[in-house]
Amino acid sequence: MFSLFYGLWQFMFSKLELRVLILGIDKAGKTTLLEKIKSVYTNVEGLPPDRIVPTVGLNIGRIEVANRKLVFWDLGGQLGLRSIWEKYYEEAHAVVFVIDASCPSRFEDAKSALEKVLRHEDLKGAPLLILANKQDLPEAVSSEELARYLDLKKLDERVYMFEAVSAYDGLGIRESAEWLVEVMERSKRTEMLRLRAGAMGPGPA
Amino acid sequence: MGLVFTRLFSSVFGNKEARILVLGLDNAGKTTILYRLQMGEVVSTIPTIGFNVETVQYNNIKFQVWDLGGQTSIRPYWRCYFPNTQAIIYVVDSSDTDRLVIAREEFHAILEEEELKGAVVLIFANKQDLPGALDDAAVTESLELHKIKNRQWAIFKTSAIKGEGLFEGLDWLSNTLKSGGG
Repeated sequence: MFSLFYGLWQFMFSKLELRVLILGIDKAGKTTLLEKIKSVYTNVEGLPPDRIVPTVGLNIGRIEVANRKLVFWDLGGQLGLRSIWEKYYEEAHAVVFVIDASCPSRFEDAKSALEKVLRHEDLKGAPLLILANKQDLPEAVSSEELARYLDLKKLDERVYMFEAVSAYDGLGIRESAEWLVEVMERSKRTEMLRLRAGAMGPGPA
Repeated sequence: MGLVFTRLFSSVFGNKEARILVLGLDNAGKTTILYRLQMGEVVSTIPTIGFNVETVQYNNIKFQVWDLGGQTSIRPYWRCYFPNTQAIIYVVDSSDTDRLVIAREEFHAILEEEELKGAVVLIFANKQDLPGALDDAAVTESLELHKIKNRQWAIFKTSAIKGEGLFEGLDWLSNTLKSGGG
């Protein structure tokens, strides 16, 4: 009997799309990351990095990892465009924050943008993946170094991880996606969003 | 046989066709944009009653661009053109702040349309050459673009008169359509 309910629960859960926000300041490599994720997990070849232009709007990527449906929302990172990030917070299950690890002169900017994200009520309890991107470049710092550099406070109560990736050559992409699925499945926030979606009925997808 | 060769040819050379609708309120600059894209020059236009359609070849994509008249009385006819549309270019007069509310309402009504569900959305914040024109962030805010969550969108600052921003928008469009779109 239990297994029946458990099976049903799993079935319902698998139907649910898990929404992941990709944030970060401009030139961090968010869209390149999204396109790489698409290339790795779907049959569609993502755009090559040299064809990618600065995002002024929203890019979407839908993939499946371990039978879970993931939707990535990639938003533009230029200063004037960051004001729309928060409109997407409420519905997001998790956040990926991308940082150009090869560009220390912008770490401070990235740090303050990230701290602002973390302070927001609407993202309470959302798992956070911080990516030290551009590891293909020789000057890129490691994820540990980046973590020390950012010295983030108030991370304790949040599930988070630092990961060294290269959206260019694909280093760390699978590990990142798998970690996301794992923590989202277990997070209270996912539970909360699922209950809320249930309470509101099957609204517009 | 000829058809087979055509297909083969276009698959080898990556030619793709896309049907694009250019929509927006009257006097937003839709027709000027269409001819700027197609001929590379500014033509003097009169308010469009009905439609203009032209083919624009760009980035290996053949864009079939439909420019539909924007006056209130003829907006209901837009929907006749909705089927099989891959993308919408929504043109806004960024200096006409009084009518941005109407522009927003029309825009979100279009997005509700079942037949346009799969279409990607490109917004041209046009008439940037005019004083008092709102920038891309402000137009984003006024049009409430953040409510779009199930399809890709992008906004570009354009000036059809000066020819600025238009091809950047088409770049985005062709990239997005090539990488699977919506």
